[in-house]
Amino acid sequence: MAEQKKEVLLKIRDLKIQGYTDETWIDIIKGVDLTLHRGEVMGLIGESGAGKSTIGAAAMGYARDGTRITDDSSIEFDGMELTTASEGERRALRGSRIAYVAQSAAASFNPAHKLIDQHTEAPLQYRIKKRVEAQEDGVELYRRLRLPNPDEIGFRYPHQVSGGQLQRAMTAMAMSCRPDLIIFDEPTTALDVTTQIEVLAAIRDIVEQFNTAALYITHDLAVVAQMADTIKVLLKGNEVEQAPTEEMLNNPKEDYTKSLWAVRDFTSPQRYRPKDGVPLISVKNVDASYTGGAKVLDDVSFDIYEGMTVAVVGESGSGKSTTARCITGLLPPSKGEILFRGEPFEPDYRKRPREQLRQCQMIYQMADTALNPKVKISEIIGRPAQFYSGLTGAALKNRVDELLDLIELDPSKFYNRYPPELSGGQKQRIGIARALAAEPTFIVCDEVTSALDQLVAEGILRLLDKLQNELKLAYMFITHDLATVRSIADEVVVMQYGKVVEQGPKDDMFKPPHHPYTDLLLSSVPEMDPNWLTTLLEERGVDNVGDAASAKMAEQSK
Amino acid sequence: MGDILGLVGKRLGLGLIILLVISIIIFFMVELLPGDIAQAVLGQGATEENLAALREQMGLNKPAVVRYLDWLSGAVLLDFGTSIVTGAPVVETIGTRFMNTLFLAAYAAVIAVPISIILGVLVALLRNTIFDRAANVVTLSFISSPEFFLGYILILYFAVKWQMFPAISSLSDNMTFLELLERTFLPALTLVLVVMAHMMRMTRAAIINLLASPYIEMARLKGTPPWKVIVKHALPNAWAPIINVVALNLAYLITGVVLVEVVFVYPGIGQALVDSVAKRDFPVVQACCLIFAATFILLNLAADVGAILTNPRLRHPK
Amino acid sequence: MFVLIYFVFLTVCFLASAYFNQRTAFMLTFSLFMISMILFIVGGDAALRSVAIGAALLAGAAAVSFGFKEFLVQMADGDAGAFLRGGMMLPVMGVFALLAFASAYLGWGVTEVFITLVVLALILAPMSPDFAKELRTAPLTAAFGMFVIFVVSIMAIYAPLIAPYGEAEVISSAFAPRDESLLLGADQLGRDMFSRVIYGARNTVTLALLGTTLAFILGAMAGLLAATKGGMFDQAMGRTADVIMSIPSLIFALLMLSIFGGSLASPSTSFYLLFGFAIIVGLLFLAAAAEGAMGWVIGAAVMIGAGLAFAAAGTTIFDASEVILILVVAVIYSPRVFRLTRAVAGNVVVMDYIEAAKLRGEGNWYLIRREILPNSTADWGSMVRENATLISFGDPTPLIPAAAIALLTIAVNFVVDWMLFRSSGLKEQ
Repeated sequence: MAEQKKEVLLKIRDLKIQGYTDETWIDIIKGVDLTLHRGEVMGLIGESGAGKSTIGAAAMGYARDGTRITDDSSIEFDGMELTTASEGERRALRGSRIAYVAQSAAASFNPAHKLIDQHTEAPLQYRIKKRVEAQEDGVELYRRLRLPNPDEIGFRYPHQVSGGQLQRAMTAMAMSCRPDLIIFDEPTTALDVTTQIEVLAAIRDIVEQFNTAALYITHDLAVVAQMADTIKVLLKGNEVEQAPTEEMLNNPKEDYTKSLWAVRDFTSPQRYRPKDGVPLISVKNVDASYTGGAKVLDDVSFDIYEGMTVAVVGESGSGKSTTARCITGLLPPSKGEILFRGEPFEPDYRKRPREQLRQCQMIYQMADTALNPKVKISEIIGRPAQFYSGLTGAALKNRVDELLDLIELDPSKFYNRYPPELSGGQKQRIGIARALAAEPTFIVCDEVTSALDQLVAEGILRLLDKLQNELKLAYMFITHDLATVRSIADEVVVMQYGKVVEQGPKDDMFKPPHHPYTDLLLSSVPEMDPNWLTTLLEERGVDNVGDAASAKMAEQSK
Repeated sequence: MGDILGLVGKRLGLGLIILLVISIIIFFMVELLPGDIAQAVLGQGATEENLAALREQMGLNKPAVVRYLDWLSGAVLLDFGTSIVTGAPVVETIGTRFMNTLFLAAYAAVIAVPISIILGVLVALLRNTIFDRAANVVTLSFISSPEFFLGYILILYFAVKWQMFPAISSLSDNMTFLELLERTFLPALTLVLVVMAHMMRMTRAAIINLLASPYIEMARLKGTPPWKVIVKHALPNAWAPIINVVALNLAYLITGVVLVEVVFVYPGIGQALVDSVAKRDFPVVQACCLIFAATFILLNLAADVGAILTNPRLRHPK
Repeated sequence: MFVLIYFVFLTVCFLASAYFNQRTAFMLTFSLFMISMILFIVGGDAALRSVAIGAALLAGAAAVSFGFKEFLVQMADGDAGAFLRGGMMLPVMGVFALLAFASAYLGWGVTEVFITLVVLALILAPMSPDFAKELRTAPLTAAFGMFVIFVVSIMAIYAPLIAPYGEAEVISSAFAPRDESLLLGADQLGRDMFSRVIYGARNTVTLALLGTTLAFILGAMAGLLAATKGGMFDQAMGRTADVIMSIPSLIFALLMLSIFGGSLASPSTSFYLLFGFAIIVGLLFLAAAAEGAMGWVIGAAVMIGAGLAFAAAGTTIFDASEVILILVVAVIYSPRVFRLTRAVAGNVVVMDYIEAAKLRGEGNWYLIRREILPNSTADWGSMVRENATLISFGDPTPLIPAAAIALLTIAVNFVVDWMLFRSSGLKEQ
C-alpha cells in the first residue's frame, strides 16, 4: 500500500454512460470523476446497479454491448484522451498497459485453449516477449501467486482447474504484459470464503510487487478495506464520497456511506432450546447420495426446536442444501430418518399427506427462478392458501392482502403485478409470503440473502426475525456468510464435505475453542479492519489459510 | 478417453436400434401397399393355380415375421431380393443409381459446404449491416421455396431461355468427367441453393451466439484484433455447432434428392423410389427406403458424434 | 431510349441520396446501377429489361409492404382491439365460429361472412398502442410477409366469390394462353389457372393449418408430459420421436399416401385413422391429467366420446385423401414440436418455482397448465419457420401454383423471423 504521491495515471472527468433498454437510451453513469495515481489501488464500492463494472470497462475506453460513452465525458490515460482516440489506439492499450480481471474466470477463459496459451497471447501480440520467454514468465507468475504445480498447471484446460485457481491464473494473465493499471471486477464474489483469502492475498501481493495501479470493484466492504488505498462510494450512477481507506472506515461523512457501514449491526437476541421438549424437526443419522453416486451426506444429525433458528453453515459442496432436500422429502435418505415432532416423515415427498407437506416450506436463493415470471403475485401467494385451506373468493383476497401486509408490501400496489416488475428484495419478500401462505411451522431458508445487496439483505433478515417472533416459526437458515449467522442464528451447525463438524448454541460457537475447521471458517471472513488480511497471514502463515488448509484438514480427519 | 468411447458407443448402439425399428416399419408399411405381388408379376390373365404356385414359390404364404426376418438377414448381406419389374437382383438395379445419387449429393456438398461456412462467418461478423440483411432475405427465400420450384425456375432460365445447361440430366456411359459435371450442374445447383441457405443461417446463428460469450469479451479486453477474435477464439468453439449443422444438412440433402431427381429426371435412387412405388415393385421400394433411412440415421449419428468429439471438456477430461 | 432513361434515372437517384446523406438509399441505387451496367454489357437489352422489371417489382413490393405496415400501425394506434381484450375475444370468436358452422351445415349461404368476422376478431385483438410500437420497428420483410398472408387469407376465405370459374370447370382448350377472361391461362386440362390457384390457396392453407395444428397438439402434449414426468416415459417418447424423425419425411409421406390414398382410401379408413389419432392424444392427456382410478375412467369415457366426434367431423368435412394428407403432415411434424417443447419445458421444470409447486403437492396437470405452459409459447414460432415447406407436400405442381406456394412460405418465414427477433430481445449495435 504505497504512500508517496505519484504521478496521475488515470483521469476521468464527468463520465456519462448510457445503456440501451426497451428501445431507449437511459443514463447509467451520470457524471463521475476519478483520479488514479501510479501504484495506487482504488476501491469502487456500491450496490449492484450502481454502475461500477461499467466504469471499470470505460477506464479501458471500452463500452460494453448495449452501452455507449457520451461525447462530453473525458477519460485520460497517461496523457492520452480515450474518448477521441481511434479504436486502434484504444485497442493497443488493452492487455498491454491496462488489463482486466473478470468476475467469473471459468466463463472468461476460452474452453478450447490451454491456460498458458491464453496467457501468452497478449505478450506475443504486442511483441513484448517471445513464446518461450512468455511461457516461463507465466510459470513464474503462477509461482508467485502460489498456484499448486506452477510448472504444469498452465498446460491444462480451464475446465480442469478449480475456480479459485482459475481466478489467480486470470490475474497472472492480466500481469503478463506488466500493465500500468489492472481493473479487478468483483474477482472474489463468486468464491467461497476460504478460497477468497488466497486470491485476495495473491492479488494484493502481486500488485505491490509490480507497483501496478488498480481499480478494485466490489460490493463487499470488508474486502475492499483489505485491498484498497482509497475508496470511492457509488450509488445509482452517482458518486457519493471518496476518501483514503482508514479515514473512510473510521469517519464516513455521507449518510449513505454510514448506512453501508452500519449494515452488520443487526442482531437478534439469542434463544435457547427448552429443557425438555420434543424438537420440531429432528435429523437422525442421515446418509444420502444421488442415484448411484458417492455419499453426499454422512451421518448427519441435528435438531431444530420450535420458534428457533438453526443456521447451517459450510462451503459449497458441504451438503447444506442436500440436508434441506432430505428434510423436505425431495431426496429420500439412504440411511437414517427425519422426525417431525417425534413422528417420522415419509422419506419421499410424493407419499406425504398434505398436512405434512404444509409444515415444511422453502424459500429459495434466486428470486428469478423462485417465482414464475408469468404468474401474478396474487396467485403466487394465493395458491397455497387456496390449496391448503380451501379459501376462495373474498376470503382468499383478504388472506392475500393480509400476507402482503405481513411482508411489508402495499397490497393495492402489488396485488396485480408480475415478478419481473419487482426488485430483488421485493421478490424475496414474495417468496416469504408464499411460504407463509401455507401456515407452516418450519421454513427452510436456502441462502435467501446471498444474492441480495447488503442493505436489502438486512431488510429481509429483520423481516424474518419479526415473523419468527409473531408466528413462532422455526427456521433452518442455510448460508455461507458468517455475518448473517451472527445476526440471526440461535444455534449453529457447521458442515464440511457432507459431515457435521460442530454444532451448538451461537454464543458458544463464536468463542474458542472450536473445531479446527470452524476456526478456519471463522477466521476466513474478512473484517472491516484494513490490516486484517496482513495480520491473518502473519499469524497463520501463508500455508495455513484458505483451500490448502481446508483440504489438509479433510485429509487429517479421514 | 474412455468417457468419449463410451458416449460414442452408446450413440452408435442407439442408431442401430433405431435403424432396426425403422426397418420393421418400412417392411410392414410396404406390406400394406395395395396390390398383389403375384398378380403384378404374372399379369392380369393369370390363373388361380399359377398365382397360388407363384405365391408359394416367392414365399408369400409364410407368416409376416418370418418374411421380415428373411428380408432383414438378406439386407444385411446386401441381398435385397429380386425386382418384380426387371427380374434382376435389386442390388444391381439400384447399385448404380445409389452411386449416381451419392455423386450428385457430393457435387452439391463440395460446393455448398465451404461457401456456406465462409459466408456464414462473414455475415456473423457484419451482422446488421445491409450485407447481412440482404443475405437474410435471400436465404430465407431460398429455404422457403420448395426444391421443385427452384428446380423449375432454374430450368426455365438456364436451360430454356439462356440455353446454358441441359434441362434433363441423362447420363450415358461414355461421357467425360467434364460432360458429367455439365449435365448434372442444374440439379446440383438446386440442391446447393437450398442447403447453402440453411447452413449459412445456422452458422451465422452459432457464431453470433458464441460472440456473446464472456471469453470473447475477455479476448477483446486483452486487445485482440477483431479478426483474431473470430479465428482464434470463436471458431475453435464453433466447430461443434457447425459440424452439427453440416451433418444435419447433408442428411437433408438425401431427402431433397428425391424431388430434384424427379424434376430433372436424374437416374438416381430417389427417382428409382418414386418409379418403384408407382409400379408396385416392392423389393425395390423396401431396399430404397432402407438405404435412405440408413444414410439419414448415419449422418444424424455423425452429427451427434461430431458434437461429442469437438467438445473440449470431453476431449480433455479432468 | 429506354436504356438511356433507366440509367439516367438511377444516376439521379444515387447522386441525390449521396447529397442528402441517405446511406441506405445510396447503397441500394448505386449497386443497382453497377449490376445493371454489368448485365447490360453481358446480356444486352433483354437482360437489362429483366433487371429493370425485377427492380421495379421489388420496389413495388417494398412500397406495398410499407403501406400495409402503416395501415396496421394506424389501426393499432387507434386501439382498434380494445373492446376485445379482457376475456372477450374467445367468446366472440366462439359465437361467430358456431354461426359459421351453422351456416355451412344448414346452408344459409352466409358462411363467409361469419368466417370473416372470426378472422377479424383474431386480427383486431392485438391491436393496441403497445403493439403499434412493435409494428413501427418491424422490418419491411415482415410487413411484406404479413401482406402476402393477408391476401392469401382473403383468397382462401372468399374463394367462391373471387374465382371467376369453378375449381374443376373445363372452360377452354389445354394450355390456352392468357387473355382477359383467363388471367393466367389454362392448365393441361383446360381449366382456368387463376381460379385453380385461388381454390388451391384455400385447400393448401386449410390442410397446412390443420396438419400443423394437429402436429402441435400431439407434439406439445408429448413434450410437456415427457418434461414433467421424466424417467422412462421421457426416454420412450424421445426414442419414438427419434425414429419418426429418422424417416426422411418425403419418403414417409410418399409411402403413406400410396398406401392409404390408393385403393384403400375409403371413409371408414379415414374414420379409424382420425379416431386413432384422437385416442393417442387423449392417452397422453390422461397420462398427464388423470389422478386416481376415477380420473382415468371418466377421462377414458370423455376421450372416446371426443375421439368419435373428432373422427366424424373429419370424415364429413374432408375426403379420404385430404384426411391422409393432414394426418401425414401431423405425424411427420410432431417430433420437431416434441423436441422443442421438451427442451423448453425441460428448462422450466428445473426452476425452483416448479419445485415449490411440487412440494406443495400439486399434480402434473396443474404444473403443466399454470406453471410451464405460459413460459413456452414464445418458442413455438421458431417451429413454423423450420418446416414451412411442409405446405408443399403433394405432387410436383406446375410453376405458377408452385410460385404461389413459395411466396406464401416466404411470407410466413419473414413474419416468423421478425417475431423471433423480437422475443429474443437482441440489442446488438
